[in-house]
Amino acid sequence: MKVTGWVLDVFTLEAARGLVLWLIGEDGKRYRFEHCFPVTFYAAGSASELRTLWRFLQSQPERLTLSRTERHDLFAGMVTVLACKVESPLELPRLFARVASAFPTLTYYDADIHIALRYAAMFGVFPLAYCEIEADDKNHILSIHPLESPWEIDPLPVPLRILSLEPDADPSHSTPSHLKVSYDRVHSTLPLDAKRPLLASLESTLKTYDPDLILTSWGDTWLLPSLLTDKKLANFPLSLNREAGQDVIQHKERTYFSYGQIVYRGQQVSLRGRLHIDRHNAMLWSEYELEGVFEMARVTGLPLQDAARLSPGTGISSMQFITAMREGILVPYRKHQAETPKTALELIRADMGGMVYQPIIGLHKDVAGIDFVSMYPGIMVHFNISPETQRAKDDLTPAAGEPGLIPKTLKPLLLKRLALKSSLAKISKYDSRRQSYRARSTAEKWLLVTCFGYLGYKNARFGRIESHEAVTAYGREALLRAKEVAEDLGFEVLHMYVDGLWVQKEHLANPSDFDELLEVIREHTGIPIALDGIYKWVVFLPSKLNSRVPVPNRYFGVFQNGEIKVRGIEARRRDTPPFIVTMQIDMLKILARAPSVDDLPEYIPLASALVEKKIRDLREGQIPLEDLLITQRLSRELKSYRSPSPAARAVLQLVDAGKHISAGQSIRFLYTRGKPGVYAWGADKDFDKRRIDISGYQKLVKRASATILDALISQTNLGFFKVCQQIKPR
Amino acid sequence: MGRTLQTITDIFLQEQESFTRFRRALRRKDQLALDDLFISARQHLAAAGYAAHALPFETLLLCMLLEEHKEVMQLREQVNQLIVSRE
Repeated sequence: MKVTGWVLDVFTLEAARGLVLWLIGEDGKRYRFEHCFPVTFYAAGSASELRTLWRFLQSQPERLTLSRTERHDLFAGMVTVLACKVESPLELPRLFARVASAFPTLTYYDADIHIALRYAAMFGVFPLAYCEIEADDKNHILSIHPLESPWEIDPLPVPLRILSLEPDADPSHSTPSHLKVSYDRVHSTLPLDAKRPLLASLESTLKTYDPDLILTSWGDTWLLPSLLTDKKLANFPLSLNREAGQDVIQHKERTYFSYGQIVYRGQQVSLRGRLHIDRHNAMLWSEYELEGVFEMARVTGLPLQDAARLSPGTGISSMQFITAMREGILVPYRKHQAETPKTALELIRADMGGMVYQPIIGLHKDVAGIDFVSMYPGIMVHFNISPETQRAKDDLTPAAGEPGLIPKTLKPLLLKRLALKSSLAKISKYDSRRQSYRARSTAEKWLLVTCFGYLGYKNARFGRIESHEAVTAYGREALLRAKEVAEDLGFEVLHMYVDGLWVQKEHLANPSDFDELLEVIREHTGIPIALDGIYKWVVFLPSKLNSRVPVPNRYFGVFQNGEIKVRGIEARRRDTPPFIVTMQIDMLKILARAPSVDDLPEYIPLASALVEKKIRDLREGQIPLEDLLITQRLSRELKSYRSPSPAARAVLQLVDAGKHISAGQSIRFLYTRGKPGVYAWGADKDFDKRRIDISGYQKLVKRASATILDALISQTNLGFFKVCQQIKPR
Repeated sequence: MGRTLQTITDIFLQEQESFTRFRRALRRKDQLALDDLFISARQHLAAAGYAAHALPFETLLLCMLLEEHKEVMQLREQVNQLIVSRE
């Protein structure tokens, strides 16, 4: 039998000897295949230790093939290893656990690689890959060939059947009463309290529509676990899995610390033979949604349910593992390279990040923003920076020799992203591909960005701090060279931020005016640089505490085409109430209508009028409560607060209402008068609007308006100081 | 990256802090002038960081001097213009 179609999932199963592969057939059918797939892990150490290990392995019950061979370790070169081929991939983790505890001093390789990654490395078949399978009459795969690569810009669309389940309220805030069910063109709402009819209805949908993907809201943390409990209590069938006789897999919730932020990951529920993705428990869902998850899975080789929930760091490591396995390089089980010793001065020189300049505070015209394109990944690829390559003597000279593991992994991803970006720039605003391209390029951006971080991460298998330092050193060199070039060509450099520069020169208004600058910078650095846009005007803001102290990356400006760009101000902060975000952006939209800087004074009164109106609306209770909500993350466990923050006080109310909130979870609340000063959204059904702390919100409004207006009004150098003084809002 | 060593901003704040006793003993108007000097050093923190000098305060002093000298040059220019316009 020969079938073509798209790979839905690959996994190991107790009942199956090899691994199980689910395929969406091009003929519309769903296929379940089994594939005999032995896997190998390696051990290195002294000859006598390896002999003891050999004897130990021979005495184990698993079916194994042992051999002695030479393999390539990225850091140590060729090493003699004991190869242990395990017939059934399911048995490897258990066997290896016994081996590792009996022989803790040996060095192990390829011991904990996800089965899907091994499969991807061996056959080039990744999640959602369009491929051709030849199988025998028992559906055992004889051969499998991919018919596309993960680097296609426009892969064939996958005919996925998607069932969406959405409760009508956030279960961590209040108890949902209905479940919205939609698939194809069917939309229905089921009451959640009638358990048996609910289960019956869901079961019939699962049976008749037979979805490939169940897309839920709070499915991981609430919906599926509670459905499973109901199912058990009612002793009712519910075929969440397609794979018969298998239990649904549940993982516990956890809270951890990453990049100085506390992160909460809810409990997870994954299915077999079908996929389950929870919009609210997927990493970066708001940034790239389903298209981004698909892209993540395609390029990293991680199964969709994992790709949706894992961080881009795991994604980029997976890509490195696949490259390594294809190139015959061993993947160490634990990293064992230490940092090479440095003198204090060397450390001071090396231990630096990207260049972050202090901008020249104030309102500026004739400014253009120029950015290096994917700077850090670009540096790794162009200059061959990888743990095993030797850094050249000068910065911005490529390392000698063959491309290393990291550049090899990154190059196709970088090229794909550039291709998507350049198509995005060319296709029309209404092109249906637009959203997909954008989501995918965002997913890729995250992978590229984290790749740099992972070079410096102490536990990354292919990380090395010296490579990480080389990347930032090259970045600083490139930025400084760009500054020198710009100044040689008569530009003033107003601000620089890691991979971007803001340059100013009188009467430059056309993109082509910058061609020479971009070209010369490219020549001098070897890294492509592009025009982000030409500003009608831009304001670099001072610190809130001192008007003379500049702050990097806090600005707002308007491009020639009227588009607004803001960084670091209230509108960009997640804890700003939505109505203030809207107000600040609307103020900027009004100011953006000014044809030039010289016309700005006429538009400032219009912007202040908007502020006055918002304050009036606020006092008169015209602003919907949802728009007053403040969203904050609980930064630690409730117990450890000495004087509870507003967010912590809101959580206390939720806890009193019987909800469970962990550190890292987001809370929404309103500011109220008197004590406790906050009202947790959904804590109880009725909320009296008169409790809103109007003056507190008014302060927030004024602060947000001052960020925009104070900076413009204090611009004496533009000669409209006096005009503006008269109209400054009180 | 930036994890082992302090950032230049941290170093700057620490250096500034180490002069609290000195600042306290100054007259009020001198205190304000001193604050001003520190603010002018802040304009060049990126360059001071890049310099990666073993004794960062030397670089910070140079940052202050730089801003002072810019001011002198600007004033000199203005005086020259005034003289020219009088003549």
